[in-house]
Amino acid sequence: MRILTLGIAAFGVLLWLAHGNPSAADGAMFANGLLPPVPVPADNPMDAAKVELGKQLYFDTRLSKDSTTSCATCHSPDHGWADPKPVSEGVGRQKGGRNAPTVLNSAYMPLQFWDGRAATLEEQALGPIQNPVEMAMTMVEALDRIKAIPGYVEAFRRIFGTEPTEEGVAKAIAAFERTVISTDSPYDRYVRGNRSAMSPSAVRGMNLFNGKAHCTPCHSGPNFSDGDFHNLGVGYAAGRYADKGRFDVTKNPADLGKFKTPGLRSIALTAPYLHDGSERTLADVIEFYDRGGNPNPNLDPLMLPLHLTAQEKADLVAFLEALTGEPVKITPPTLPPAAGGK
Amino acid sequence: MRTNAMRSVSRLGLGAAALCVAAALMQPASAVPVFARKYGFNCTMCHSAFPRLNDFGLRYRRNGYRIPGRENLEKLVYETPTPLAMRTSVGYNSETFSNTPETTNVAEFQLNGLDMLSAGLLGRNIGYFMVYTPQIAAGRGVAGQDGALEAANVVLSSPRSTWFYARLGRFEPAYVPFSVKRSLTVASYEIYDFAFPGGPPFADTRTGVEITGWGDPGIRYAAGLIDGSDTNSASDSPADMYLRLEKVIGAGEGQTAGHRIGLTGYRGLARPESGASPRKSFTRVGADASMNVGIWNLGVQYLHGEDNRELWGTAENVKFDGGFAELLCHPRTDLVAFARYDWVDTPSSVRMGVNRWTVGGRYYLEDSVAVHLEYSHRTQSPIQTGLGHATERLFTARVDFAL
Ligand code: HEC
Ligand code: HEC
Repeated sequence: MRILTLGIAAFGVLLWLAHGNPSAADGAMFANGLLPPVPVPADNPMDAAKVELGKQLYFDTRLSKDSTTSCATCHSPDHGWADPKPVSEGVGRQKGGRNAPTVLNSAYMPLQFWDGRAATLEEQALGPIQNPVEMAMTMVEALDRIKAIPGYVEAFRRIFGTEPTEEGVAKAIAAFERTVISTDSPYDRYVRGNRSAMSPSAVRGMNLFNGKAHCTPCHSGPNFSDGDFHNLGVGYAAGRYADKGRFDVTKNPADLGKFKTPGLRSIALTAPYLHDGSERTLADVIEFYDRGGNPNPNLDPLMLPLHLTAQEKADLVAFLEALTGEPVKITPPTLPPAAGGK
Repeated sequence: MRTNAMRSVSRLGLGAAALCVAAALMQPASAVPVFARKYGFNCTMCHSAFPRLNDFGLRYRRNGYRIPGRENLEKLVYETPTPLAMRTSVGYNSETFSNTPETTNVAEFQLNGLDMLSAGLLGRNIGYFMVYTPQIAAGRGVAGQDGALEAANVVLSSPRSTWFYARLGRFEPAYVPFSVKRSLTVASYEIYDFAFPGGPPFADTRTGVEITGWGDPGIRYAAGLIDGSDTNSASDSPADMYLRLEKVIGAGEGQTAGHRIGLTGYRGLARPESGASPRKSFTRVGADASMNVGIWNLGVQYLHGEDNRELWGTAENVKFDGGFAELLCHPRTDLVAFARYDWVDTPSSVRMGVNRWTVGGRYYLEDSVAVHLEYSHRTQSPIQTGLGHATERLFTARVDFAL
């Protein structure tokens, strides 16, 4: 009897310990929750003039070979800072092999690109300018064009104390991207305590996301990404990977067909989905997960058929929709005119 | 003798327990047992309907309490929130017996025991799992239980291959494909409880070492060496060994997705209850399957046993068969219904044949708080000449919860 009483006392203590939802702050490893402030690297501090310059470069088609394409062509503010086409078209309507991910919240990602081949936004920013199917320039050509625009020369001098350089272009664009943040979604308001911010369906979806549907082990943390690479079998058919993904970077066979876990904030705005744009809607993505992904020799062990009911699928979609943040308040910039006022 | 003081303590305890239940029921997202708390997951991450594991939970357990593919991220037990959890249930139990002169009927509100649980990682590749059941004296309103370290084991995982894991200590052996510790029913799996006099219930936790592994194409194996029966462990250990092979068909583990078939062989040695004579052997061979179609799961177990006659004190060796078929229906995350038929066929020299029907369901108020309703009807061959079949009717309505 004494043991029983002791047990019950211990029990009470535990009840107290266990109260409330676990959060990342309590040490729970995979909890989602609210976004912390944007991480800013020490060698590229934020400043308003730099962000403005970055914004101009981001929207400036003159950085592409035939002056048709800017970053905003494929990462358009009107389409959740992503591309509504399954795979993007660059200069000369050439197609790449991958769907353009959103730039929203890419500042929170530890590695950039679907295969993580760039470590930072700074490193990433020069990639598309030189990519033959995107903006199709060399950095020398690009810098020559920038140097021919007096407004840019003046801005670089003011901000970096130099003429336009690769490094300056990269830093300015990266600084601008650090302002393209999706936050204050119904989910955030719910987590902050407003229990009516999400519909009952979305709340059920949240519990599925972190339970029966097994989404959080990969879409973990406040940006809904573990920043890691996983094989869901997307694009695997007839015994081969249409795109080897992370393998191309590491040459490690264990990385075959692995892609970076995308963040899911404002995900409702960025259809189509997956690295090859193969799923048209969020409901289609849920169907894909419900089947347990696409069987292949390297399938992630967390990919399992889910047996979700129609209601549960709808609940998950409702939850993903509740991750849509307030629109980023960014107006397209006025671009500095070319020399001679053209 | 129970004194008045003891009685008031027990009443106090019950009151406290009732308060705890109320508190648990009132918490918005109440219970977050060990693993869930560590990761920030809901219980349904690993349990289709707690305490039953889903495929994810099965893979997690098998992987030495590490999330498959996330081994590098895992935190050790020292870095995580309190690695303690408990499970109990309270409610109304009614058990009505007939043709069993020694047994008394029960019809009362009861606190149904208490499991205390701790688990986590001691090292990168070293998981541990413990269940302690404190001794609880049976009394009015309290179902008694023996104090026991029901399980306490470490799992060593090979950092390189999924073909090698070693579990050491006291554990639930892999030859029990339908866990009795995580069963949805209160009624027991008859064939798993069946044993010669003084012998170990087949499905009990056992002490020893078990090697397991898995890989493509859907193959899982387990082999173990464990202590003999509790009755004569001093002289008999380690005595028993087993081998189990599984094949999974389709994506999943056969628990909540895909299908699974399994084969089990077990050979044990035990000294007859009477004592003196040398060790005698008993064997079990079994086949089982678990199939999933939509919201339905069908689990089937067949087991054949042969025990040396001296273990039973009969003229012939005792051969018996038994098993069960269990159907689960899981139409929503918060609702599961079950129906099971259990049977054991024994030779007339033993007369312990059993038939049992069980039906019921669980409704989850919260992830880890279930309202449990169950009815079970059991008949056994007459236990004495002159008596009819012994029957037991069990009805229980309870709240089962973990925290
Ligand atoms: C022709 C279309 C196109 C243009 C133009 C383009 N991008 Fe991209 N962007 C993509 C595609 C496709 C990917 C994914 C490529 C991959 O992962 O291999 C991508 C990836 C990215 C990423 C990584 C996001 C993540 O989560 O991994 C960032 C950031 C990015 N682009 C920024 C830019 C910037 C800045 C520019 C302008 C300098 C730009 N992009 C121009 C198509 C484009
Ligand atoms: C094993 C890790 C893993 C799990 C589990 C997982 N995801 Fe993903 N998710 C990924 C990866 C990796 C991608 C990108 C895959 C690709 O394109 O090849 C992705 C892509 C997505 C996308 C498309 C994003 C985009 O920008 O195109 C959505 C939506 C999504 N996941 C939602 C979910 C939901 C909902 C669940 C739970 C049902 C879930 N994920 C479970 C890793 C995972």
